[in-house]
Amino acid sequence: MKDARPPLSHAQLVARMRPRPDAAERLAGAPYLTDRQHPEQLFGAILGSPHPHARILSLDLSAARALPGVHCVIAADDVPGCKAFGLRHVDRPVFCAERVRCIGDPIAAVAAETPEQARAALAAIRVEYQPLPLIDDPQAALAPDAIALHGDSNLLHRETHRHGNLAAAIAASQHIVEGEFLTPRQMPTYLETEGGIAEPDGQGGLTLYFGAQNPIGQRQTLAAILALPEERVRVVNGPLGGSYGGKDELTIQPIAALLALHSGRPVRLRLSREESVDLGVKRHPMRIRMKSGCDAGGRLLFRQVEILADTGAYATHGPEILDAAVEHASGPYRYQALSIEARLAYTNNGIAGAFRGFGAVQVQFALERQMDELAALAGLAPDEFRARNLSDLNDRGPLGQVVAPFDGPRLALEQIRQHPLWQGPRRWQDGRWLHGVGMALVQRSDGFSKAGPNGAGLEVALAADGCIEVRTSFTEMGQNLLDVIRILGARHLGCDEARIRPRIGDSASGVDSGPSAASRCTTVLNQLLQRLAPAWRARLQALVGDDGLEPGADGLLDLQGQLRLDYAELAATLEADQLPVERCAFAGEVTPSDNPIAHFVFGACAAVAHVRVDRWTGQVQVLRLSNAGALGPVVSPLGYLGQLEGGLLMGQGMATLEELPMREGRYLARNLDGYFVPTLLDAPQIEVIAIEEVPEGDEIGPRGVGEIGVNIGAPAVANAIAEALQMPVRQLPVSAERVLDHLERQP
Amino acid sequence: MIDIEFHLNGEPVRLRCPADRRLLDILREDFGLTAAKPGCAIGRCGACMIWLDDAPANACLLLALRIHGRSVRTYEAVCRDPASQPVRDALAEGGGLQCGYCTPGMVMTLAHLHQLPEPPDAPAARELASANLCRCTGYGGIRRAIERLFEPAEGSAATPIRPCGDPA
Ligand code: FES
Ligand code: FES
Repeated sequence: MKDARPPLSHAQLVARMRPRPDAAERLAGAPYLTDRQHPEQLFGAILGSPHPHARILSLDLSAARALPGVHCVIAADDVPGCKAFGLRHVDRPVFCAERVRCIGDPIAAVAAETPEQARAALAAIRVEYQPLPLIDDPQAALAPDAIALHGDSNLLHRETHRHGNLAAAIAASQHIVEGEFLTPRQMPTYLETEGGIAEPDGQGGLTLYFGAQNPIGQRQTLAAILALPEERVRVVNGPLGGSYGGKDELTIQPIAALLALHSGRPVRLRLSREESVDLGVKRHPMRIRMKSGCDAGGRLLFRQVEILADTGAYATHGPEILDAAVEHASGPYRYQALSIEARLAYTNNGIAGAFRGFGAVQVQFALERQMDELAALAGLAPDEFRARNLSDLNDRGPLGQVVAPFDGPRLALEQIRQHPLWQGPRRWQDGRWLHGVGMALVQRSDGFSKAGPNGAGLEVALAADGCIEVRTSFTEMGQNLLDVIRILGARHLGCDEARIRPRIGDSASGVDSGPSAASRCTTVLNQLLQRLAPAWRARLQALVGDDGLEPGADGLLDLQGQLRLDYAELAATLEADQLPVERCAFAGEVTPSDNPIAHFVFGACAAVAHVRVDRWTGQVQVLRLSNAGALGPVVSPLGYLGQLEGGLLMGQGMATLEELPMREGRYLARNLDGYFVPTLLDAPQIEVIAIEEVPEGDEIGPRGVGEIGVNIGAPAVANAIAEALQMPVRQLPVSAERVLDHLERQP
Repeated sequence: MIDIEFHLNGEPVRLRCPADRRLLDILREDFGLTAAKPGCAIGRCGACMIWLDDAPANACLLLALRIHGRSVRTYEAVCRDPASQPVRDALAEGGGLQCGYCTPGMVMTLAHLHQLPEPPDAPAARELASANLCRCTGYGGIRRAIERLFEPAEGSAATPIRPCGDPA
């Protein structure tokens, strides 16, 4: 059935919120994994390369090993199993042996009794380097004579998509816009830097307590590095102080694990902010050439896109991020011809990787800028131009793939078109302030592409105390996973929310739900619980030998709805090994089309932003940011609102503030005094509207809300700035300096 | 090495440590009080906020020699004090925490402001809390908490969203 509920207003969402299940614990000051201490603990420290690109001529650990308090000093030779890791390209060494490819690239590590002794030992490690030619530009990296950082070419990945006759569409266009867009190296800036403790279990195995997003996947990689059977390695991923994608891939866990195994002692390892800037992943900077055209009536005819992205020294998620850029470069619009060509280059510029918004936000900035530019040429308002060019409910997806029918872009656009902020004036001056109101529309994929990993498992069990445990390897990162599990668990299993006990984020559960990434957890949990519910019901009925009973809030109910057997009473009649456990696996929402990079499910947002720019200082201030999300039914109002508010501000940060500059392979800022994230004073009045309507027959239900705030926030703010300044915004962030440059060039 | 004495959460304590040892390390490593977090270690994020003689201060910037004879209160004590309950409730109910890593520092700042004999109004409280970074919430829930805890600005409407498109 078509679910045509009216949209939920911001005030309605706020009114429906309730505190997070973990609020009391967090507000009581409960420790994070980086707070864990152990009476036997040692302190780890990593020797990182001072050169962005160099050959290692020699390495001498002997002086360091002889220092007091030092328990072990290890390097590449001390890695018993796989010497490198990576998701699809196993190209990132645990320790560099012959060559370093970015600043801070690990060469050796120590474990000592105090942090001071560990640092002294690092200083005593002798390394001879021979600097190699620096590759700090992706274009130069792809030159035929460039020295290759891996294999025989710096071209890590290339992806294209074409349809229609481009030359004909260009010839038929009445209006054409063309430009080059640059996006910044944005940093996730989780407040808790990477760290934790690796604790040996005394029997050759160990537990890693490090904040991350995928305990089972990490266990597998770590076991391979340590040459241990997977059962000997346990990975606990939470609680953690922010991730935003940045902690999805392993960073220092292999080193901590090796230090713990070599010393036989628990080892705490924690990056300082400076080290985290060096070793953590950033958003891929992209250079996007885009050309688009429409006919005299404002009908889009073509878009031609060339993307060059800088992945830095190692692949991590780079190829999938580039694929996402290709899939999102055309947006929710129709064309006669599309040509998208994307390349991803290795350089010595740090490491780019997974980050909320994942490859899409960069191209969405360029795309939505050009939608405004083209609308102006065609003499149409930005909203009207978009409305005329929207894909239809039953159209194919952006790569020509079959997608779940979805009308989100139209619904979201309609909301924002009617929004009083959009209906009001769009540009005015008030003293030194130039005001602008701009809008944007994006769609973004949910979950992974056809190539996966889409599969997810779940386990539901009756515990001895009558609670119903829902076991998943998903991790709580602040998105309110715990309440989502309670709400969906109760909805599908029939019991009271208070009965649901989530078990999350720990490989010991043995349940593999895949990564808590790609905005997928809520959607996947809903599917899993829905699939598992009939078996759960049948299992409970079989246990009591009465299929007339139904699972209810507190136990099994008879046909009159009377409680016949409390879950706790049921549990009490069973031996521990007879307590029911039901497992379920779900292959994921996958397009039937034969395209490994294509997604099946999309969500959409439209937003309107009001900015004012100070003509004297160049400072951009975002005053209001109103977003309408067409993301299916809201599961947790607090989670929904919070994810969008947080994402929107992160997108605003990318548009106005955040840029981690590098020169010659080195970061020009290594802490929060040089890299700025939005503060309470930068935060605008954010409004979130939830459009819950889904098309008739929809089987997806709730779409992900984790990332799309970033995807819509950056282009909406960029368009508002362009309107205020009448400036062709081509580069993010629009810093005060760039504004002043623009204003100086004005007559 | 120096010997220092100070009050920690109301109890007198003594410690022998290097004069330049940071209070943040003293609290976390020597006393196991880990609610104050290292986010930047340079006074830019507010995650390490404590009260020094009842005023908020960044523990990452305080050296051991500076706390001799002073009184230090940490989140561990403040979160058990009923006086901070309104602040904690306002954050929990307004969605003012997600990962929660900024939360102890945020509460230390807001509870201090809230307990002042003359608390600031909401806009001033926002300004005074702007040295506490939060990367998760977009400050939506933190703004809601502040609006609930502090008076609206003199002469301003209490409604959070101003009339749309109003150029004024
Ligand atoms: S750690 Fe003290 S202000 Fe950031
Ligand atoms: S809740 Fe995560 S940093 Fe504030």
